Amino acid sequence: MELVLLFISVAIINNLVLTKFLGICPFIGVSRKLDMAFGMGCAVTFVITISGALTWIINNMVLRPIGMDYLKYIAFIMVIASMVQLVEMYLRKFFPPLYESFGIFLALITTNCAILGTCLLIDMNNYSFIKALVASFGGGVGFTLVICMMGGIRENLEWADVPDALKGAGITLITAGIMTLAFMGFTGIGSH
Amino acid sequence: MADNELKSKSEAARHFVRGLWAENPIFRQLLGMCPVLAVTVALKPALTMGMATMFVLICANIVVSLMRNIIQPHLRILMFTLTIATFVTIADLILKAYLPEMSDTLGPFVPLIIVNCLIIGRAEACASRKPVGTSIADAFGMGLGFTFGLCVLATVRELLADGKLFEISVLPSGYDPLLVMKLPAGAFIALGLLLGISNHFFNKK
Repeated sequence: MELVLLFISVAIINNLVLTKFLGICPFIGVSRKLDMAFGMGCAVTFVITISGALTWIINNMVLRPIGMDYLKYIAFIMVIASMVQLVEMYLRKFFPPLYESFGIFLALITTNCAILGTCLLIDMNNYSFIKALVASFGGGVGFTLVICMMGGIRENLEWADVPDALKGAGITLITAGIMTLAFMGFTGIGSH
Repeated sequence: MADNELKSKSEAARHFVRGLWAENPIFRQLLGMCPVLAVTVALKPALTMGMATMFVLICANIVVSLMRNIIQPHLRILMFTLTIATFVTIADLILKAYLPEMSDTLGPFVPLIIVNCLIIGRAEACASRKPVGTSIADAFGMGLGFTFGLCVLATVRELLADGKLFEISVLPSGYDPLLVMKLPAGAFIALGLLLGISNHFFNKK
C-alpha cells in the first residue's frame, strides 16, 4: 500500500515537470506533436528506471561505505551517460525500427534534468531499494503523462489564434501554468 | 601581430556583449529553463544560483578551451560533462560550507547545474573551438545574461507575491499579495508572459 501511494505521489501529486521543474527543456522542446512526446516519454521512463536503480546501488554499496560521498555527482552523471549510450547501442542492434523512431531523443536524454534530479531526490530522501525503484518508475510515468497531455494540447493550439508575441514557448509556459493549477487539485491524496 | 591581437580582443568583446541580450540564454535561446523556474521565488536564491552557474560556466569554459585540441571528437560530450560535474561539486561544497541556509533552499538545483544545457551548449558551441580569452569573455557574458534573466523573473515574482524585494517590503501595506506567484503555476505563467513581452518589444524581425 505504501508503495502504491508513493507511486501516485511521485507520478501525479509531486509531478516532476509541474511541481519540481525537472525536465522542462524536453517538455517545451519535444511536445509539439503527440507521437513525438510519447516516444520521448517512453525513452525517459526506461532510462530513469534503470539509472535510478543503478545509482542507488552505487551510492549505497560503494560510495557511502568507503566514505566518498563527494564523488556522487560525478558517479551519477557517468552512470546516466553510459546507460544512455548502452541503451542506444542495444536498440540499434536489436530493435532498429524502435531506434529509428526514438532518433535524437535518446542522445538528448543525457542532459535531461529529470533523470539526474530523480537520482538526487532518491538520495536525499534515503529511500530503500524497492522504494527507489518505484519512485524512479513513477517519475518516468508522470513525465510521460504530462508531456503527452501537453502534446495533445499543443496540437490543438495550432488552430487557436494566439498573439504573435506569445507563439511557441510563451503560450506553452502559460498552458503549463494552468495545468499545474489543475494538478494542485490532487494535493492531499498522499502524504509524501 | 598587433593587428591580430586587436582582432582577438574585439572578438572576445563581441562574444561578451552577445550573451547579455542578443543571445540571452533565458529570453532568446530558452536554455537552462529548469533552474529559472525553480529558484526564482525570491531575489536572494536567484542571485546565488546565477553566481553559482556563472562560476561553473567560466571554469568549465576555461578547461574545455584549454583541452580542445587533445579531445577525441566522439568523447567530447563525456569530457564536457565530467569537467562540469567536477566544478559543480566544488561549487556545491563551497555553498554548503559558507551559505548552508541558501544551500538548503536551492536543494537539488545546485547539483542539477551539471545538466544545465546552457553550460554544455557553451562548451560545445564556443569553448571547444575558440581560444581561452574568447571563451572566458563568452562565459562571462552568458553568465551575466543568465543571472540578469533570473533576477528579472525573481523580481517580478517576489514583488507580486509578497510586495518585497530582498525580503524588504517596498510596496505600501495595503497591497493585496498575489499568492499564485509563489506557487509553481506562478513561475510558469510569469515566465510565459515575460517571454511574450520581450518578444513583443524587442523582436524586430
